[in-house]
Amino acid sequence: MARDKIYQEEEFPTPLMQLWHNFKQPPVVVIGFGCFLFLIVLAILSSLITPYSPVENHLNDLLLPPAWSNDGNVSFLLGTDNLGRDMLSRLIHGTSLTFGLSIIVVMASLIIGVIIGSLSALTKGVKSSFLNHFLDVILSIPSLLLAIVIVAILGPGLENTLWAIIMVLIPQFVHITRNAVKEEFTKDYVLASRLDGANSFRILRYSVFPNIIEKLISQATLAQSAAILDIAALGFLGLGAPIPMPEWGAMLANGIDLFYIAPWTVYLPGLAILFSVIATNLVGEGMRHALKVRKEN
Amino acid sequence: MFIFTLRRFNLFFFTMLLLTILSFSLSFLFPGEQLVNLTGQINATPEQLAVLANEYQHQAGFITQYFNYVSHLFHGDMGYSMASHLPVATEIFNRLPATIELTSVALLVAMFVGIPIGFFAAIYHRKTPDNIILGVAMIGYSVPVFWLGILAILVFSIQLGWLPSAGQISLLFEIEHVTGLQLIDILLSDSPYKWQAFIDATRHLILPVIVVALAPATIFMRLARTAMLEVLETHYIKAAKAKGLTFWQIIYRHAMRNAFIKVIRDVGLQFANLVTIAMVTEVIFSWPGIGRWLIESIYQRDYTAIQGGLIVLSTFIFIVHIIIDFVYAALNPLAREPRHGA
Repeated sequence: MARDKIYQEEEFPTPLMQLWHNFKQPPVVVIGFGCFLFLIVLAILSSLITPYSPVENHLNDLLLPPAWSNDGNVSFLLGTDNLGRDMLSRLIHGTSLTFGLSIIVVMASLIIGVIIGSLSALTKGVKSSFLNHFLDVILSIPSLLLAIVIVAILGPGLENTLWAIIMVLIPQFVHITRNAVKEEFTKDYVLASRLDGANSFRILRYSVFPNIIEKLISQATLAQSAAILDIAALGFLGLGAPIPMPEWGAMLANGIDLFYIAPWTVYLPGLAILFSVIATNLVGEGMRHALKVRKEN
Repeated sequence: MFIFTLRRFNLFFFTMLLLTILSFSLSFLFPGEQLVNLTGQINATPEQLAVLANEYQHQAGFITQYFNYVSHLFHGDMGYSMASHLPVATEIFNRLPATIELTSVALLVAMFVGIPIGFFAAIYHRKTPDNIILGVAMIGYSVPVFWLGILAILVFSIQLGWLPSAGQISLLFEIEHVTGLQLIDILLSDSPYKWQAFIDATRHLILPVIVVALAPATIFMRLARTAMLEVLETHYIKAAKAKGLTFWQIIYRHAMRNAFIKVIRDVGLQFANLVTIAMVTEVIFSWPGIGRWLIESIYQRDYTAIQGGLIVLSTFIFIVHIIIDFVYAALNPLAREPRHGA
């Protein structure tokens, strides 16, 4: 839409607005973003829109195939599992567990990581070098192994796995915040506000953070796809969500014995995980593309 | 080169220091008695515990205790597994070779498949092949590995019956344990059925390797694509073009080598990720490796095993990191001695 120039002063979009403008250019990214929003809506409204409760047993309809097969029943659109629980309801409830919790996990580790990262960017010398080496060590331990160790300390269960994944994800946020803050601190506009008498925290809050937020968001999408896969993997291994919970990984593990007679109990949760990870990755991909375009201009 | 080596060993030393501190502090963090967690002696009598406490200097300060623990590690003593009552070190060294075999073959497969495809995509940048490859890569690193493993077993082992679905080798073959690496042991053995055994072991290896290698291969594809695109923008490629070399000559003689070096640098970082995937895959394919053993240790609350497994697996990853760093330095003079550049 053309904008009439009534006012003399020019309007500069914030870094976040510029990011959004570049972000929405490729159509495939917009589709991914649409799927991402759809999953968020499902996660929030899951208990309102599902036809059945996720743990309600329909003992007359055990292992019903999806509605499009000849033996299917349209009141159970995606079939039922071995205890007669409606797959569709379980999958939608699973969205709020696997997908919804992954967002909370990423936000928590983002906040903790950014605080530690900006503090460490402001410190110098031995302390900072020790932290750097420590992070490198943590980053090179396989994430699942670290999660297993933390689960061993805290005990199995969904809540404890979430803590474990938060802790596993923190180092990468510390790393990226630290590098980004250090990079910004060498720039002239930071020097300008320092000459104006701003202290380090004020510079961080008003000058540096608005300029690095898009890097953090792009890292957050990467972390989120890892978080979804980790929550599901721990659920699959029986260390995360307990079996009756409709968590996608736990559902998959539950269906594995029946794979040959009821393949949909394994196909569907797997496809749900794949769908949500692809949607997240597409959003992340679009974000990184937008950042690149902005850097080139 | 000497300084490069020194720096790497310095890093390795520091890393091991932190790792042992981490693992030592785990014995305090795990539920239960610290001394029992450290030694794994769950059925010890009070007298035996007193002997152990003396041996690990349990009454002394934390620092003495830590050094004592490290000296035990150096003697190969990681305590006893709480579940099987065998020494953890023996348990690990029976299983580690299977994991080394799976992960190293998968890493090689991922590199040899992923990197050329990535170069191919970069050469056809923003054309149909590039888009298709990017799309496949996106699915490749989004797919949950446990689901992929189950689907692979269903399709290739159950429905088509092409490949075996579990274990490392058919139980019919008896292979002497020499190096622990199955394929090498078979070649070393003088059994009359050597070649049948070799083929059987390879058939067992194919499915798990493909499942483990898929996600890292797609990451290598993207790394290789980015590296190649960067190299094609450089001035020496322009100079080569100006000399009148054909496009494919430029690709083979100049671009590919320089892009390959850039990819090699990042291979080490992907290895930790690959080991994570391998741990889950070992569970699905009943592969007798350290990942499956560690996950079973959790079910059995075998804290000594988790401690030992953490140290050995992480050390393995660091060693691979360092090997890859050396390969990178060997291929790239710039990394070895800064004076070659600039």
